Amino acid sequence: MKKPKVGIFDFACCEGCQLQIANMGEDVLSVLGSIDVLEWREVMSEKWGKKLDIAIIEGSITDPHAVKRIKQIRKKAKILIAIGSCATIGGVNGMKNNFGLDDIRKYVYGDSYRFFPTELTKAVHQVVKVDYFVHGCPMYIPEFVALIKAALQGIPYYPPDYPVCVECKLNENVCMYDRQVTCLGPVTRAGCNSWCINNGNICYGCRGMVSNPNEKGAQDVLAKYNIPMELILNKMNMYNKCRELT
Amino acid sequence: MEDMQYVILKKERFNDFISRLSKMQKLIAPVSKGYNNFAFEEVSSGSDIALKYIPTVLPLKKFFMPQRETLLEFKMAKGADAEAVVELEPMTIFGAHTCDLAGIQCLNMVFSERPKDYNYLTRKNRITLIGLECNEYCDEYASCHLVNASFPGGGYDLFFTDLGDYFIVHVKTQIGDEIVDVTGFFEKADVSHMNDLERLRDHKRKVFSNEVPIESKKLPELFDKSFRARVWKDLDERCLACGNCTNVCPSCYCFDIRDELDLSLKNGVRFRIWDSCQLEPFARVAGGINFRKERSARQRHRYYRKFRYSVDRFSRFFCTGCGRCTRTCMAGISLKETLNELIKESEDRVWKKWL
Ligand code: SF4
Ligand code: SF4
Ligand code: SF4
Repeated sequence: MKKPKVGIFDFACCEGCQLQIANMGEDVLSVLGSIDVLEWREVMSEKWGKKLDIAIIEGSITDPHAVKRIKQIRKKAKILIAIGSCATIGGVNGMKNNFGLDDIRKYVYGDSYRFFPTELTKAVHQVVKVDYFVHGCPMYIPEFVALIKAALQGIPYYPPDYPVCVECKLNENVCMYDRQVTCLGPVTRAGCNSWCINNGNICYGCRGMVSNPNEKGAQDVLAKYNIPMELILNKMNMYNKCRELT
Repeated sequence: MEDMQYVILKKERFNDFISRLSKMQKLIAPVSKGYNNFAFEEVSSGSDIALKYIPTVLPLKKFFMPQRETLLEFKMAKGADAEAVVELEPMTIFGAHTCDLAGIQCLNMVFSERPKDYNYLTRKNRITLIGLECNEYCDEYASCHLVNASFPGGGYDLFFTDLGDYFIVHVKTQIGDEIVDVTGFFEKADVSHMNDLERLRDHKRKVFSNEVPIESKKLPELFDKSFRARVWKDLDERCLACGNCTNVCPSCYCFDIRDELDLSLKNGVRFRIWDSCQLEPFARVAGGINFRKERSARQRHRYYRKFRYSVDRFSRFFCTGCGRCTRTCMAGISLKETLNELIKESEDRVWKKWL
């Protein structure tokens, strides 16, 4: 089998997901052994610019220039993979959408803000078609590897459509609610192996919400634990603000 | 009775016994995780063990049917180049309550049906089970008496009962007998010990009683009348479909089977992982149709699997009354409350007929 030509591109993000790839250890060699990376700004200076089998996209789309660039990449790539919350759900960049766009620009660029056009933050699939999603901030490497395998075989990859609590229970963690701490696990899509809770943290909802959440039930639970709805929405907005755009 | 063999272990020898046991093969026992949570984990000394504990987060099934288990290794070459795999590790489990022993009995029946599940059965034969009696209720969520699991009913090699400054131990199998022999810390039980045990059992018969107001044998009939009960609708509004209730249930055994290739796409494994009837994708099939789309249908299914279907198929309840599903549910869905509701509703119906 000929190795697929791959390009890795970043948009508005912290490049943490690419760092995850670089930090993969042994797996990185087998991944790199099975693909041909032709463009990857973080680790190489070459630019390819021609047709690609797979484009891997990190980061969200936040200005007109990015819109143009992602559309060009989409045209060149047979398969497009979005990695990390910024790309798959808008992620923390979505917090920008809480404010007026001009206010934001003035705050960041001062008087010369007019030279820096901007747009509401969008997830990649809100601009172009995405074939595969690797959710998470940062993405969870085992899931990335599983997805790459699926892409290489040309079969779909379905992220789990159930809450993080499932994995958390399987890891036999003491539930945060038993510790009187609010956790977004019950409404957040699994697939991270409850990474944060395993390490003593709460779930921040970085993978987006399950497709059919029981909102009424979730509200009852909050009421039972005396947690104001507001607090949850704020927490949820940290990663999931772009949900409102679709 | 022939198999009625009792020995005692003095408390001061308990730690030595556990250390010795842990040197024979991997030893698992309940340990505290804080916040009144417990888990079965590997131990090497008596002080690791929580002798007084409420049912652990996950039940013993995690050792009998691991969360992820390889069944087959294969090569993508032409022809069937595949090899069946059984993953197993011999171990001893100390401190299983009667509800959890009942859970393993349920799984044994399921996996012994034809076609037999050799992965499960081979593993099970390498696991030694030592029970531990509950002298009192663990908490208000348990309903073990209702399903005949509050007193020892077999399914163990040794069974410990705490009688103050000593344990009385029922030796049930040859493996149990060997442990008693090899460790050498046990003494023969005499009449006074047997009387102590009888006194405890008398006490238990007073404390333990059906946790919901119904005779156990009437439960299947209750469910026959309850398929359209209002309570399922109520559960629909409350359940978050997180699947916690089935993952923690000792008698839920549903699994999914998947194939996975390595990155060369040349070699692969077939493995199974736990699945849950409460999850959205469980009953979703090709074409996007979901034949248990409503959470109410999923919850109802769970209850019928525990109290109705298993009675026809295996002549026993598949609820062991451990209370885990209630303890773990964030939405506060309680097994006892659901049963109470069903009873109330069916009584209402009877009254309506008479009036
Ligand atoms: S800690 Fe969070 S993810 Fe884990 S079971 Fe509790 S709510 Fe769910
Ligand atoms: S644990 Fe509770 S909320 Fe979760 S699926 Fe079970 S009944 Fe529903
Ligand atoms: S249904 Fe609930 S109480 Fe019954 S065995 Fe399962 S977890 Fe325990």
